[in-house]
Amino acid sequence: MKNRLKELRAERQWSQGALAEKLGVSRQTINAIETEKYDPSLPLAFKISVLFKQPLERIFEPGQT
Amino acid sequence: MTNPNLHEDDKKQSCRTSGTQEFLRSLQLNAWLAVSAATYVATLFLNRRHPGWSPAWKATVALMPILPGLLYLRNGMQLLRQMDELQRRIQVEAWLFAALGTVVVSTIINVFNGQGLNGNWPAHGLEIGGTYMTMFLMWSVGVTIAKLRYR
Repeated sequence: MKNRLKELRAERQWSQGALAEKLGVSRQTINAIETEKYDPSLPLAFKISVLFKQPLERIFEPGQT
Repeated sequence: MTNPNLHEDDKKQSCRTSGTQEFLRSLQLNAWLAVSAATYVATLFLNRRHPGWSPAWKATVALMPILPGLLYLRNGMQLLRQMDELQRRIQVEAWLFAALGTVVVSTIINVFNGQGLNGNWPAHGLEIGGTYMTMFLMWSVGVTIAKLRYR
């Protein structure tokens, strides 16, 4: 699954650690999502969606990982 | 405008913190495994030193490492529930790798023993201590593989 997490995070000038803290996950999880090695669970995806105030489909889109 | 390399100090600090937490978590997870291994060595020593003990008492002593082994499992499950979803996936993959790896090693040893082959492997299978040690080694390999995969 492709995502715009890195782009959205950079727009807000947040570090991976800061974003991880806001979402209650580890920095490694954020890094793995950004590099598209790991697809987040639905609850985490919704948390990301709420945090960035964007609908899910504008952050995540289907694609080969 | 978009600079993902911002807050490098923050990143480094975060890495250090998560590294320390990870080390402490691993230490906590494996503390009961170390106790199990120590208990196993102690029971071997006791049973060899006291050959006159009744079979029932010998069996009781020999099964003692099971108790810290169960506490290890309980501790592992508790820690698993506290982890975030990626860490949990890494641990579950590592545990699966450890369980299947131990089954394979145990089967190979039993097949060799069944065929009457003599080597440097245990004559009665892995036994309790060998099973714990094999599982720990396989878990370490599994965690390393999973971490490299999601790095």
